[in-house]
Amino acid sequence: MVVYNFKKIQTVPTSTEFVDVVLSRTQRKTPTVVHKGYAITRIRAFYMRKVKYTQSTFHEKLTQILDDFPRLEELHPFYADLINVLYDRDHYKLALGQLAKARSLVDGIAKDYLKLLKYGDSLYRCKQLKRAALGRMCTLMKRHTSSLQYLEQVRQHMGRLPSIDPATRTLLVAGFPNVGKSSFMNKVTRADVDVQPYAFTTKSLFVGHMDYKYLRWQVIDTPGILDHSLEERNTIEMQSITALAHLRAAVLFFIDPSEQCGYALHQQIELLRGMAPLFQNKPLIVVLNKTDLQWEEELSDEHRQALAALGPSVDQAVSSGNVESIDVDALLEMSQSKPDDQPAHVVMKMSSLSEQGIAQVRSVACDLLLRQRVDAKLRGKRMSGALNRLHVAQPAARDARRRPPVIPSSVQRKLDDLDKAAMATAAGTSDDEQENGDPDVTMDEDTPIRGEAKNPSLGRKLERDRMWELGGPGVFASDWRREYRDLQRAEWAYDIIPEIVDGHNIADFVDPDIEQKLLDLEREEEARVAAEEEVMEEEDEDGPVLTAEQLERVRAIREKRAVLRQESWMEKTKNRPSVPASRLGKRTRVEEHLEAHLNEMGMHEEDAQDVAEGIADKMPLRKAAKRRRLVEVEETETQMIERKEALDAAARKAGFANANQKAFAKKVAARKQAKIHARTRQHGDGDRHIPNLRPRHLFSGKRGMGKTQRR
Amino acid sequence: MAVRCQFENSNEVGVFSLLTNRYCIVAPGGSENFYSVFEAELADHIPVVHASIAGCRIVGRMAVGNKNGLLLPSTCSDQEMLHIKNALPDDVVVQRIEERLSALGNCIASNDYVALIHTDLDRESEELVADVLGVEVFRHSIAGEALVGSYCKFTNQGGIVHPMANVEHQDELSSLLQVPLVAATVNRGSEVVGAGMVANDWAAFCGLDTTSTEMSVIESVFKLRSAKQSAILGDLRTSIIDSLAT
Repeated sequence: MVVYNFKKIQTVPTSTEFVDVVLSRTQRKTPTVVHKGYAITRIRAFYMRKVKYTQSTFHEKLTQILDDFPRLEELHPFYADLINVLYDRDHYKLALGQLAKARSLVDGIAKDYLKLLKYGDSLYRCKQLKRAALGRMCTLMKRHTSSLQYLEQVRQHMGRLPSIDPATRTLLVAGFPNVGKSSFMNKVTRADVDVQPYAFTTKSLFVGHMDYKYLRWQVIDTPGILDHSLEERNTIEMQSITALAHLRAAVLFFIDPSEQCGYALHQQIELLRGMAPLFQNKPLIVVLNKTDLQWEEELSDEHRQALAALGPSVDQAVSSGNVESIDVDALLEMSQSKPDDQPAHVVMKMSSLSEQGIAQVRSVACDLLLRQRVDAKLRGKRMSGALNRLHVAQPAARDARRRPPVIPSSVQRKLDDLDKAAMATAAGTSDDEQENGDPDVTMDEDTPIRGEAKNPSLGRKLERDRMWELGGPGVFASDWRREYRDLQRAEWAYDIIPEIVDGHNIADFVDPDIEQKLLDLEREEEARVAAEEEVMEEEDEDGPVLTAEQLERVRAIREKRAVLRQESWMEKTKNRPSVPASRLGKRTRVEEHLEAHLNEMGMHEEDAQDVAEGIADKMPLRKAAKRRRLVEVEETETQMIERKEALDAAARKAGFANANQKAFAKKVAARKQAKIHARTRQHGDGDRHIPNLRPRHLFSGKRGMGKTQRR
Repeated sequence: MAVRCQFENSNEVGVFSLLTNRYCIVAPGGSENFYSVFEAELADHIPVVHASIAGCRIVGRMAVGNKNGLLLPSTCSDQEMLHIKNALPDDVVVQRIEERLSALGNCIASNDYVALIHTDLDRESEELVADVLGVEVFRHSIAGEALVGSYCKFTNQGGIVHPMANVEHQDELSSLLQVPLVAATVNRGSEVVGAGMVANDWAAFCGLDTTSTEMSVIESVFKLRSAKQSAILGDLRTSIIDSLAT
């Protein structure tokens, strides 16, 4: 929601003030002392800074003004039109345009003179250039005296515009001058608009607010409109027209059939017809005002006919102001069934003076507008996300349990009394205004912070009253113990109870049976732990029960595993490099066992070995034996070839033809290196010895600037 | 009776007070204005007690209670607990609970029969809530928010939940809690309804910013001032629609 606030626009200074402000600021914020003897670059910089600073100040101030004033294109059309009517759109845009132009001209001047200043060859010349630059800027601003003056006036007027929210629920009161628009406004809102017995008392739009159906409504009082063409209308009337044209509101068109306002009835009806285009798509209520003047009896025949042509008054249809009973659909239908020469409307009678019918008029207008707005919203997309807010979730019965509210009997009595009182007033008074009174207003009376008189529990002295009696907030300390209840003796409330006594927190000993309780608790805990353990054991025993023999075997297996683990650990902890078993060609435990077993069975030792290995490798028997015999012979031969090939490959990688060449190159290199070492007195490649850390030639004699490291 | 009030310029009434059908706890403030609002409305019927919890004024967020009992966080000091025990009626059980999520008011929402708790609350705490408050306990979240105490407020007569809770979610919660529910806001559109207001079966207090529409929704759903819940569908409907989505 855009809320327009024109009060924030900063004051627009007059041109002389403007120049004074800018120049004095330049004087204050830039250096002021310069001498002929300075380097010319320094002098130039001094004056260039002044020119630049003045320009930026002008620029900043003008930008401020241009940004503050609203752009008509970006405003709500209502405000754009209102500004057009009040201040003349062309004039407004011209003034702002001139300032924008001035801003760019100032920038241009500064640019030119900065360029010239670069060539200034003496202090005097630079100073003259600066003077010329500042002078031209000031002259330029002087030329815009009238624009600045106009904008200041506009600013002052805009600050006083009523803050109308074009989007909210609005009732618009319109009609001829002096027909009672402002009186109505004063009755329904607290706006306190000036009411006088002459035409055009209201010269501008006025805004008031009221509550109806839990919502805040905006009521706009417009100046009177006369029945003539649009071109002839003056500024005052045009404000009304603007509001009628652009605000989506319920329009209350006031007519004074008694003609006491000084305008004939047919003129007023003619105006209603003439303005029909402005009333399109808006709820329109034609209010026949001033019934207290008894015009109904004194009407001439033609007046009676003219009023009859507007349609019957719906005051009877709206039963004595009861809000719920307003049948909006019937009203809408009635308003639509009008002859073509009249806009859709509802006719109502009212008197501001005797306050007769005011509430009905307001209710009907609000209801019609609300209906229109709600329909529009339900049609739009935005409402779909909020439909969950219109749902009352009713519980589905979960069980047969009753869950009644817990209301103390004293409260129940009070509520019953209130209900009775409300019923009595409803039956006793027939005054529609009181009954129709805003629910919100009645609620306000219940709102606290109104002092003792409106205190619902009359006669009770509140803590707040005590506070004010005893020094007010900050001084008063509330007596919390006064609220203590159910103590055996009332005076115990003020007993001093320390928190810690003899190093013990007394809260731990408040209970006389605390020891016993603790014991019980511990016993309970123990019992629980025991129970848990039992459960655990039971769970263990769930498995199959073993026989004594099986148990013996299990024990043996476990023992064996322990021994093996021990052996393996002893093996591992020997302090020597370990070689993987596979590399060692060591036989696995399975092989060993198998071999031993076969031997035992009477097999030949070698055969048994072959079988064992073969089974371990999953190889056919003979093949295993053959391999064993071959390996011993072939291994040395293949090994030699392989090693040579590996060495050659490594040498090739390093860029040599073969391993021999590499060895030769290494020998040559070592010989050469030895010579170098002999020359530099190094003992080898790794020798980093420095014989003299502080050689004399580097650490003696005079030192100039920056010669500590090097000389 | 729904009443608007403010605690030292803050509209979060539910933060600085705790209201049940048997007692009311109010945070100590710079002045007695806030306390007296509750006092004027309630003191004839139930005790209205000044108290701090763990030296904090955010009593409504730290503690949770109903007509049967009051749960205090483990950070509550012995003296504070003693004071609360003395001031409350004797048959209201006051119990401290060792719970990591010590802002109990944010994590637990309860009336006299049912409680919703934060999904991460300990099992022991859950049992304590059931025992001390005498309620059925459900682990649930509201519109995706785990802090059930902050995002809903319900009494034995009705309740309001986070405004983004969809219709199915509302129906589910309502059946769980066995009270009618409405998705609504307090304090001119605030969605932390649990922190923005307090209510019991015959009174409610909400922030000064609460609009008339919000007030009337609250009054009708909590059945205060003989208002009907169906009003939300009938009389109030147009006002609610027009105040939403301007």
